[in-house]
Amino acid sequence: MGDLLRGILKGAVGPKDNDSRYLLDVHSRDLPGEDTMARYADNDEVDLVVVGAGAGGSVLAQRLARHGWKVVILEAGPFWHPDEDWVSDEAGSHELYWTQKRIIGGSDPISMGSNNSGRGVGGSMVHYAGYCPRFHPSDFHTHSLDGVGADWPITYDDLRPHYERVERELPVAGQDWPWGHPHRYPFSPHPISEMGATLWRGARELGIEMRVGPVGIVNGTFGNRPHCIYRGYCLQGCKVNAKASPYVTHLPDALAHAVEIRANCMVSRVELDDATGHAIGVVYHDEVGGAERLQRARFVAVAGYSIETPRLLLESTSRRFPGGLGNNDDQVGRYVMVQGAAQTAGRFPDELRQYKAPPPEISSEQFYETDRSRGFARGFSIQTVGPLPITWSEHVLADGHWGRALREYMRDYNHWATIGVLNELLPHADNRVTLAEETDPYGLPVARFDFNVGENDQRNMDYSTKVITDILKAAGAQDVLTVHRYAHLVGGARMGSSRDSSVVDPHQRVWGVPNVFVSDGSVCPTQGSANPALTIMALASRLAERMASGAAMQQPEVTRQPVG
Amino acid sequence: MPDFSRPDHLPHLRPDGEPPHSSWLPRHRHGTTPQMIGRYPDYDVLVEVDSWDDATRKVVLARLEPPGPLRFFSEQEEPTLRAFCDTVMAQDSEPRVPVAEFVDDKLAAGRLDGYQFADMPDDRDTWRLVLAGLDESARDGHGKAGFADAEPETREEIIEAFSHGQLSGGSWDRLNVSRAWSVVMRAVLTGFYSHPWAWNEIGFGGPAYPRGFMRLGPVSTLEPFETPGASQEDPVRAVAEGEY
Ligand SMILES: Cc1cc2nc3c(=O)[nH]c(=O)nc-3n(C[C@H](O)[C@H](O)[C@H](O)COP(=O)(O)OP(=O)(O)OC[C@H]3O[C@@H](n4cnc5c(N)ncnc54)[C@H](O)[C@@H]3O)c2cc1C
Ligand code: SF4
Repeated sequence: MGDLLRGILKGAVGPKDNDSRYLLDVHSRDLPGEDTMARYADNDEVDLVVVGAGAGGSVLAQRLARHGWKVVILEAGPFWHPDEDWVSDEAGSHELYWTQKRIIGGSDPISMGSNNSGRGVGGSMVHYAGYCPRFHPSDFHTHSLDGVGADWPITYDDLRPHYERVERELPVAGQDWPWGHPHRYPFSPHPISEMGATLWRGARELGIEMRVGPVGIVNGTFGNRPHCIYRGYCLQGCKVNAKASPYVTHLPDALAHAVEIRANCMVSRVELDDATGHAIGVVYHDEVGGAERLQRARFVAVAGYSIETPRLLLESTSRRFPGGLGNNDDQVGRYVMVQGAAQTAGRFPDELRQYKAPPPEISSEQFYETDRSRGFARGFSIQTVGPLPITWSEHVLADGHWGRALREYMRDYNHWATIGVLNELLPHADNRVTLAEETDPYGLPVARFDFNVGENDQRNMDYSTKVITDILKAAGAQDVLTVHRYAHLVGGARMGSSRDSSVVDPHQRVWGVPNVFVSDGSVCPTQGSANPALTIMALASRLAERMASGAAMQQPEVTRQPVG
Repeated sequence: MPDFSRPDHLPHLRPDGEPPHSSWLPRHRHGTTPQMIGRYPDYDVLVEVDSWDDATRKVVLARLEPPGPLRFFSEQEEPTLRAFCDTVMAQDSEPRVPVAEFVDDKLAAGRLDGYQFADMPDDRDTWRLVLAGLDESARDGHGKAGFADAEPETREEIIEAFSHGQLSGGSWDRLNVSRAWSVVMRAVLTGFYSHPWAWNEIGFGGPAYPRGFMRLGPVSTLEPFETPGASQEDPVRAVAEGEY
């Protein structure tokens, strides 16, 4: 069917080379193709084995399958059947999260679970909020520009075509974007709620520009993906298929192109042939207590998220890499970043009912770039959020209330509007993932993540909390409650132009191992103050293009001297 | 008459930092709220059950089933657990949201949250140490047999210190007390605010699939089934006195 005909039949013209939106069923939420997908034996040497069916792993698999590669994705979590497995309920969504134990330490331990990562086909985007901003061009060279962070070995222009392509696939809806590299979105902005409008009025008072979106939520017709029904449960998994996640945007097309997703399979190491230095595949368990299995593959891509990817590399020891794959320079697991994510809520005379509409509504990147007069390098973004009751109660508790006072604030829920920030916290070598002594049910050491906030970080967070509090006051808030928190992990296997200061080369290939790539957020050397999912997908899309052409298997051309 | 457009009832804005006595609120008339107090006397989220999908309905309605006996906590721990859950959620009378049972079920099933502070034991051990610590604080500081035997004021005093990480000695010294507060409260709040009675109290619209929401504002944010907040004002008198 030509695009024109499709356009007439189904609405807007969508992306090429990805039929996911047509493959979905209008009446059922299951991922089509589970019963008919290709199956490979452990001993078939497939072209690519991917660890993790999340943002980075799914895009890579879908792209290479389109080039005729035989691909197996091993996913630790379940193969979701959303009609039965997902609920329109906060506490009932517990199974979506990576709830296997992780140890958190350092001066500012980062809470995981619901707040940080997912486990299952689709990965964390199954329960991510849905904001899909791009990084700014400056994010790729913060060290040369601002003397902080690190320079990437690639630039914004390397990713730009992939940003555009992924934005058409999700598809992203929003107003024309004035910040960073100005651009438009394929879908028009969603209507906003009374809460969003109230916060916007406050921002306008202070001269702060806000824009609607950008969100990976269908606004209009997009194949068989329905329009959003404004029910506000994006962080519990979208039962409607309106919100983008690999489960609806890339995996249907992947399954239609001979990808196998093997769910409930926990990968325990990348298996290296010490004689050749090539990986021969990955070792995994298909049940707790089960025997080890080895999936053979020509290429391995690790895409397990910023905690699990370093953990897996550290667990993959061999004679060549006694301290873990790619870790001979002690770089694996370092420079893990989170964004500061304080939220402030304001009380208003009217009932705003902040649980309605998707939590991501309007945002601003006016404070994204360095302005030395603020007293710190780099910046932050501002975004609205709409906490449901349990999350709201944690917000109230964090402000110091319990018992009768907490119940009083909770009864006032419908009068509150919440706005948050994302601070670019800088990468530090000591913010790192290591292996703990404790083991998981598979007998594998669990990850330990230590995190310490730096001085620049603290100044950034203090400043931004004041800005959002001022927005609430300018909007007429009668009372304010604040919670300090963190979100969005990236880093831990960063890319760079020199092996002694990074884990992967500019092609995202592990230094010193010709056929192992990392295809998730852990390759990011810095994080900007944009939410990471779109960038993770764009990076995977670029990597796939270069793996398909063979460019990624060549020695990297060093475009930049290592810095930072 | 209490006017919800004003924030006078919020603890931050009151001289003593305390909320007003709950008698300023109407008695709930339709469906159930914890202690039958709430701001939406004629609102019952359960009226909408037919508009929820099967999977959600099953999960939510299970919370209304009479809870079974505790499985994780011992008979000795039970009174302290109940006294703690009642005090931190200000549940001083029936009907109560069965928070203690929720916590017990979560821990018995090992449904933990996916992280453990490096300077803390496993969440299950944290709970046991906290209950032991509460008993020790009631005994050593206030001469009571245990936390459950202390008067409400004493319990509140101990909890206030707990919330500021200011308890020490005995079991408390085996914990980072501020972190222990966040661990136990996370479970308590999830238990309480996952219950439809609590949704009635706060006027939350509840599950919304496949129906969704239509009224996002600005003219009104009320769906056809939602009701505006109310006070315990006598409508007959209000009309007679010309307030309407
Ligand atoms: C509550 C929440 C809100 C968020 N909101 C936003 C937002 O609004 N915008 C945004 O851009 N980002 C958001 N994010 C972040 C975003 O979801 C993640 O950054 C992104 O999904 C990470 O992609 P990834 O490919 O690195 O990993 P994931 O998508 O997490 O995928 C990793 C997958 O690998 C699997 N896996 C891990 N280890 C193994 C192993 N050893 N063997 C087999 N499988 C394994 C995991 O089960 C998982 O499914 C949010 C995240 C959360 C939790
Ligand atoms: S608000 Fe829209 S995008 Fe979010 S979960 Fe509901 S239908 Fe999906």
